[in-house]
Amino acid sequence: MLLKSVDNIFWLGRYLERLDDTARLVNATSHLLIDSHKDTQFSWPVLLDVMGLDSKTALANYQLPPDATPEQASIEYAVMAHLISNSASTVSIRHTCSQLKYNARSIRQLIPRDMWEELNKLDIFLQQHCQQPGGRQQRYNLMTEVSRRCQMVVGVLDGVMLRSDAFDLFNIGRHLERADMTTRIMDVMVLQQLQPTQIKRPKFRWTSILNALGGIESYHYYLAHQSGDVDAIDYLLTYADFPRSIAYCLNRVAASAKGLPHSISILQQVHQLQALLKTEPLTELSTEQLHQLIDHIQAGIINLHKVIATPAENLSRAQLSA
Amino acid sequence: MSVKSFTRGGYPLTENCFDELVSSDGSVRPVAAAIARFIDKHGATELCQRQDQLNQTISDMGVCFTLYSDGNNIDRAWPLDVMPRTIPSTEWQSTSAGLKQRLTALNLFIDDLYNKQRILKDGVVPADLVLQSRNYLAPCQGISPLFGVWANICGTDLVRDEDGRFLVLEDNLRVPSGVSYMLENRTVMKRVFPELFAESTIYPVDDYPHQLWRMLASLSPRHSDVPCIVLLTPGIYNSAYFEHSFLAQQTGIELAENTDLFVEDDIVYLKKLHGKQRVDVIYRRVDDVFIDPQAFRPDSVLGIPGLIKAWAKGNVSIANAPGSGVADDKVIYAYVPQIIQYYLGEKPLIDNVETFLCLDPKQKSYVLANLDKLVVKPANESGGYGILIGPRSTLAEQQQMAEAIKANPRNFIAQPTLNLSTAPTLCDGALEPRHLDLRPFILQGKELYCTTGGLSRVALKRGSLVVNSSQGGGSKDTWIINDEV
Repeated sequence: MLLKSVDNIFWLGRYLERLDDTARLVNATSHLLIDSHKDTQFSWPVLLDVMGLDSKTALANYQLPPDATPEQASIEYAVMAHLISNSASTVSIRHTCSQLKYNARSIRQLIPRDMWEELNKLDIFLQQHCQQPGGRQQRYNLMTEVSRRCQMVVGVLDGVMLRSDAFDLFNIGRHLERADMTTRIMDVMVLQQLQPTQIKRPKFRWTSILNALGGIESYHYYLAHQSGDVDAIDYLLTYADFPRSIAYCLNRVAASAKGLPHSISILQQVHQLQALLKTEPLTELSTEQLHQLIDHIQAGIINLHKVIATPAENLSRAQLSA
Repeated sequence: MSVKSFTRGGYPLTENCFDELVSSDGSVRPVAAAIARFIDKHGATELCQRQDQLNQTISDMGVCFTLYSDGNNIDRAWPLDVMPRTIPSTEWQSTSAGLKQRLTALNLFIDDLYNKQRILKDGVVPADLVLQSRNYLAPCQGISPLFGVWANICGTDLVRDEDGRFLVLEDNLRVPSGVSYMLENRTVMKRVFPELFAESTIYPVDDYPHQLWRMLASLSPRHSDVPCIVLLTPGIYNSAYFEHSFLAQQTGIELAENTDLFVEDDIVYLKKLHGKQRVDVIYRRVDDVFIDPQAFRPDSVLGIPGLIKAWAKGNVSIANAPGSGVADDKVIYAYVPQIIQYYLGEKPLIDNVETFLCLDPKQKSYVLANLDKLVVKPANESGGYGILIGPRSTLAEQQQMAEAIKANPRNFIAQPTLNLSTAPTLCDGALEPRHLDLRPFILQGKELYCTTGGLSRVALKRGSLVVNSSQGGGSKDTWIINDEV
């Protein structure tokens, strides 16, 4: 494959996973509401903060009442519009899908016909159905459908695409994005606990997060088979058998990178991230420390991204002279 | 729509036009019998439903073309009519032989022009006509590509006259496009009409990508290795990018922009993930004057510096070879029958449309006196631009054209307004005749190949003769149907 295409195929994987995971993030918060007591306050702008935005700036365009509190319905609507329907928002599902389509178009020659068709159907569906964020029930169904359609694309690709550098880069992109989004979804929980308005700190309601990540049963399995004091944080960060854990994603990135010319640089970066997961006794971390750890992991993912996307600059000295 | 009206003569045939599916007495041609039976059995509503299903399939498959409008690029869904166009296989065999004959002669002609120029010395084609053409590229003199073939991929536009005879309207020898739509039209139609494909013997079209690859591979200057072939595209914003990426994907060759290629010691290389790779064949979809700023236009941002030198040394093949556009000139077109006779000693199997050359004073006077009846075309435009269709034009347009002809007679030709053939087309729920042409694609490398049928382009407006998709034209799947006993 062409050197130039590295970036596009890698981003194709990232955007596809981001679509799926944004839908899961939205549903994780819906779960959280269903699980909560009716008086529980949920701070909607946190969802934008974890996506790396400044929620105040982002929400400035939505003409909200000046006295709106973070848990109000008008804020919920604006946050959901920013995550789902507003094509000008860089974190929205519609925007992500346009980026997905752009990258697919740039490397059409690498994409099998069946997958190309599945991508088109996904785009048509999203542009039609994600015009409005909708009410909660409608939203839940829509997000489930978005995830399902993303899985269709991956499934078709897995069944027909040549096992080539392009396939490896696509998978690296997917798993890197998944690791990133899992930390963001975790961060929603963590940041909820950091809200200064909440005096009492209830125990993390991880069930809703695990549900949205499709991992509740395997979490119970994990608890039943793991010795020592472990919880959902260990599970999401270090349990390498769960396909949405950070540990699993890093293993997959490492495995897929083996055949690439700049694999040495990629593996070095992966090892640094893996070391980060091992340094702390996770169960003893305070909420603040956990938030910091998540920040460090996200920074490591950004570095890993840079290494992967610039193969020519990350060849070993021996490879360059060859 | 009354369906019976189609099969029982109520279909409104256009006067003095050959219809592809219906004879002048209103009976359905044998070649369209299966389609007529389908309409009789299922009715008009079903036909409309199939058109809806077809449109959905097109958008699912992402078949589109790009329009430039107000400086923007807009992707439009590819327009395909649900009614196919049918041609008997025996007729296609002779047509295909005529197309191969034509391309063979044109390639001998181009090779001669850049080398010995026998045909000019023998006075068959006026020398200054060729040598002053802006498509005659002097840096190509003295070069002879593999097999002496310059135009490896040709898209020839065919029309039928009122008697149903195929005539050549023009030869596209530069970067002809449309073949991807021929292939995708068939894929769509098979999904929409599986029963019709089961019932008739419709010749397949899907070996084109393999034939294209074989032809390109035959051009490789190195014989021992698996050739490295790339399709050179101007990029994702080009109006034909859909086709470029489609063909690269279907043939398994690399899709490259100029920045992915470079020349070192007169060898062309491709920048790949694992390092540079030597390129053997470039299927260029960039106009030749843009491919090397060192040889042609220095302002080109689409070119690869040094490419022409590498090509001249025989280190890389380029299809179509730079300079082949010299035979893709509507003035040269008028000489093609003589060119065939000169090089092959044969009569053309397919005739030209009668053509008046404005560079000839006598013919020019005739053209100027009959602007309201003729179709006038600039010699070097494509896409249907700059054409005057006499009977549909205003007096002001005719006067404007008269001035243009007087100022530069070499640049214009004129042809009688043709009664292009029609075919039943679904328009607002009814079948109505619409004019159409046909673009088959012919490949020449080591061997000759002609597509089975081609891309049928149809003018969707009533009475219109403009079939270009950029100007509101649509398309039809072209069925070559076995009629041999």
